[in-house]
Amino acid sequence: MKRGRWLVFLFVSPAVILVGVLMYYPMIGTVIDSLYATSFIDPTPKFVGLSIYREILTSIDFAEVVRNSCIWTAGVVLLQNVVGFAFALLLDQRLPGRALMRSLVLLPWVLPGVVAAILWRFMFDPQLGLINSFLIRLHLSGQGIPWLAQTSTALPAAIVAAVWKGFPFSTVVYLAGLQHVDAEQIEAAIIDGAGQLRRLFDVVLPAMRELIALNVILTTILTFNYFDMIWVLTRGGPENATNIFPTRIFELAFGEFRFGEGATYGVFSILVLTLLLALYAAIRRGAERKSAGA
Amino acid sequence: MTRGSRAAGRAGLASLQFGLVLFVLLPVFWMVSVSLKPATEPFAIPARLWPDHPTLANFLHAFRPEFRTYFINSVVVSLATVAISVSLGLLAAYSFTRTQFRLLSVLMALVLAAQMFPESAIIIPIYRIMRSADLLNTYASLIIAYVAVTLPVAIWMLRAFLMRLPPTLEEAAEIDGAGPLRTFLDIVLPLSRPGVVATAVFVLVVTWQEFLFALSFISSKSMRTLPVGINDFIGQYGISYGELMATSVLISLPVVAIFMVLQRYFVAGLTVGAVKG
Repeated sequence: MKRGRWLVFLFVSPAVILVGVLMYYPMIGTVIDSLYATSFIDPTPKFVGLSIYREILTSIDFAEVVRNSCIWTAGVVLLQNVVGFAFALLLDQRLPGRALMRSLVLLPWVLPGVVAAILWRFMFDPQLGLINSFLIRLHLSGQGIPWLAQTSTALPAAIVAAVWKGFPFSTVVYLAGLQHVDAEQIEAAIIDGAGQLRRLFDVVLPAMRELIALNVILTTILTFNYFDMIWVLTRGGPENATNIFPTRIFELAFGEFRFGEGATYGVFSILVLTLLLALYAAIRRGAERKSAGA
Repeated sequence: MTRGSRAAGRAGLASLQFGLVLFVLLPVFWMVSVSLKPATEPFAIPARLWPDHPTLANFLHAFRPEFRTYFINSVVVSLATVAISVSLGLLAAYSFTRTQFRLLSVLMALVLAAQMFPESAIIIPIYRIMRSADLLNTYASLIIAYVAVTLPVAIWMLRAFLMRLPPTLEEAAEIDGAGPLRTFLDIVLPLSRPGVVATAVFVLVVTWQEFLFALSFISSKSMRTLPVGINDFIGQYGISYGELMATSVLISLPVVAIFMVLQRYFVAGLTVGAVKG
């Protein structure tokens, strides 16, 4: 071994061991766990092969969780990126109080997730909540809508709360990206007489295409696996209406001690993650090749 | 573009601005407002935006003994995680930036990729590891798990920072006969302070609010951290919304304060990695 290399290994080994044991091993462990059945009455794992998969794939619960997860992820990611980008554009202008706004906009992101969830539970409260108060005052609703308690509104309500909590991260990323848009191109567009909207669609958005794509994938991964918000708001209810993969896994594993079923849902999450990571890597490589060629 | 449509555009932009700002700030404002509302002032329907006679009574009630226990637990776990994660992260990031050979690059790619791993999907084996190591209901279970989860991001942020430090100073130290350890302690460590601060803030924000591991590993009341503790307060008999909001403010204050003071470092640290990768 070359001189100094032992020190390098000494420096990186704690990180490598911890990440290996607590992040990589569990990825494989989840697959193994999905082949063994346990229950509250009989906690000793029994090998059952793929039978849990067969059972889950034909269950209504799974279909509902998949549907909810799709709506939840698509809704949160879309709105979070649109609102995040809009805020970035806003904070990029020379407006009074910009510095203060730049700090305040990060407030939801810094606020602990459980606190944000409790706050929104309260916002959505049928009688005491701020949202229903406005609706009642404006005579749009007689006695307030139980947003989180009815199956038709629970998931959209949870999406609004999650967007509020998550968009500042996208704002920070996009704000940094805006600083890197070529000022000369914008100047040229202004000379060509392009208005603000034209400049946005013809210059700014194309220049930030890769950054936007990467951020969309990143927020998709985070949102698909986001547990705190829905657990505190609804615990997946009412009647499964907001149950997504993370809450279903937790409920199965720690509520019903069905580790095998929980792990099987986990395996599907890992598959989704793998697809998204592959996409992420492909876009990243494409962007690097382009900037190397330029 | 005509003058009229330009003015309309500006008005549209201004109202969009107002709407966005309202969306961000109104819930936070309301949390503070309700936390200051006296218990005697009934909830008016429709709700009032600001109480007639603001009071700190809810905050006094919020300092219940359970809250104090949860608070201390959160402080211990978070500080330990920040210290360990940033130290191990800096050592690893330094090695990954300054030395290059095949095996090391592979290890680095593997460690950095783990920042995308979904804890909620792999919680069952992690729980099993903690159970078989007899660590359930201990600080250690949380600290170890939090360090493992935050290390990949910490290394990624610190590496982005270290890559921008010119290697000339270190080379000079080496020519002067300083060993690699000396160089690290005397040259790299002091220079990397802004990166360390940014990373520490990030790890703190993540750890202070962590919910899933705390909910899974800790069943004993005396070992709970704040997020699990306050979640348990919801709907508990005798805890009013005013008190719940006061507790929320108390939980948020430490991280919000630290973040506001140090955010300049933080935003820079985060975006270096995000934009340039």
